Amino acid sequence: MLVAIVLLALEPFFAPYIKIDVTIVSAALLFAIAAMSANLLLGYTGLPPFGNAAFFGLGAYGCGLSLKYLNVHFITATLFGMLAALLGALIVAPFLVRRRGIYFGLLSIAFGQVFYFIAYRFTSVTGGEDGMSVPRPYLVFSSFTLKETAFYYLSLVVFVISLLAFKLIVQSPFGRTLVAIRQNELRVRYLGLDSNRFVFVAILISAGFAGLSGALSAMLNGFIAPLSLDWHQSGDFVLATILGGSGTVWGPLIGSLIYEIGRDIISTITPYWQIFLGALFVACVLGFPRGILGTILARVGAAPLSNEPEEANWTQSPAIAADHRG
Amino acid sequence: MDNALLLEARDVSKYFGGVHACDGVSIGVRAGSIHAVIGPNGAGKTTFFNALSGFYYPDRGQVFFGGEEITRMPNWRRIERGMSRTFQTPSIFPELTLHDNVMLGVRSKAGLAFRARPPSREQEAALEARVDELLGFVNLTRFKERPVAELSHGSQRLCEIAMSLSTEPRLVLLDEPMAGLAESETERVITVIRGLHDRLGLTVLFVEHNMRVVLGLAEQITVFDRGRILAEGTPSEIAANEAVRDAYLGKEVLDHV
Repeated sequence: MLVAIVLLALEPFFAPYIKIDVTIVSAALLFAIAAMSANLLLGYTGLPPFGNAAFFGLGAYGCGLSLKYLNVHFITATLFGMLAALLGALIVAPFLVRRRGIYFGLLSIAFGQVFYFIAYRFTSVTGGEDGMSVPRPYLVFSSFTLKETAFYYLSLVVFVISLLAFKLIVQSPFGRTLVAIRQNELRVRYLGLDSNRFVFVAILISAGFAGLSGALSAMLNGFIAPLSLDWHQSGDFVLATILGGSGTVWGPLIGSLIYEIGRDIISTITPYWQIFLGALFVACVLGFPRGILGTILARVGAAPLSNEPEEANWTQSPAIAADHRG
Repeated sequence: MDNALLLEARDVSKYFGGVHACDGVSIGVRAGSIHAVIGPNGAGKTTFFNALSGFYYPDRGQVFFGGEEITRMPNWRRIERGMSRTFQTPSIFPELTLHDNVMLGVRSKAGLAFRARPPSREQEAALEARVDELLGFVNLTRFKERPVAELSHGSQRLCEIAMSLSTEPRLVLLDEPMAGLAESETERVITVIRGLHDRLGLTVLFVEHNMRVVLGLAEQITVFDRGRILAEGTPSEIAANEAVRDAYLGKEVLDHV
């Protein structure tokens, strides 16, 4: 874990040599936060999050609008963005919380598209199809805005904090219960737990991460387009998660780095980059059926199954044998 | 209502389209008893169980548990009230270890499942002790750290029983606990079920096909046929009942009793 963070921290120094721009890696880090948000629902709770771009976009507009009209500090603006995403989630979560599987996916697409069309049509506020520009953030004085490298380190810090928070959440009793819901929700309920309550909170947490990612992405790009709320965008988060390994803590980062950097490199070579990126995805899915990290972990981590037949132990249980004779 | 009844169903009906899977069934389960529900395939036993445990709600009738009406209470809340159940196919968390399977229930009972903060050291120790106790009860301690998907069908069934005990129930509903078990496994599950009653003092209501098991374990038997109750009584009464014999029981089985 430390190695990965140190490598990422040194990236700006390598950037000129490996020709991977810091803004691309910044974008990948922020994208990874959104992919993590999708991962909480997809990989841990077992629900397909095809509307998370709406929370991402709400975060972006919440941040962008507060920077533009309220002229607040960028940290406050980020909080406004997360708040907007959470409010959006509070509206849709009561409807989503009873849906599972494909129905959850379809309903989240539908809600996501509602937010997309609002952003698209509400031209006076969002700029509609043309999008809106976002002022550059500054740390202390408005004359010193955050340049690329500074923003990169900001993204990295926020990413590391998000990753640690995510790890704490999925390893907590709450997170363990989410995994149990993914495996067998019926049993969770028959252990006396209201699974809908867990799903509700999972949606809110997911929206919070997506909003955070959206807010910072808006500042990184200096621009927000309504397309960032579109369901294609939700699909990209899901894709990056599956690529890296859904249900793993680091998977979304790996998927996001490949997705963002791959897109950047291939698109400089050919205008038909989508074909090649698609081929890369197909290759990854075939080579790593459980995602890159998921497959590696399954190979390395999973202890080989014992050859000893378990049945043999059945008959050697003195307590029950004795009990039975009595 | 009779105070000695822990569970009472009054006139419970469940229809699927035109099929009366369960049609006006009333039974009372006395606190502390082992009560069996038997009947041929399609008699509505599992439907009745599902209506009792809140898997779905009955179309007509009422269900009382400990004197409280629970007809339309969500299933998870019934568990809080002290009911638990197993399913024909063990309902477990296949990818988790045996320990983690049981721990989920233990944490749920302790009110610690819905928390971001890990339990304190003392809480953790108490939870672990409880898991060990439950695994010891079903005699699976040696498989504690194994994913339950790797265990035999019989061990999975016992894992499910341990999970259903983890919420400290007063009543345990077992839906065909012997389904799909080998002969040697059946003996072990019988021992555990008897332990639920004899050692833990729980009330047990179970559905079973295996007549030898039913006649050996149950104190009270309710016979279902085509969604209705055909007969009710002690094992010897049921064994002697002409209607039950005619309906479906093998004569030779009953003559053994």
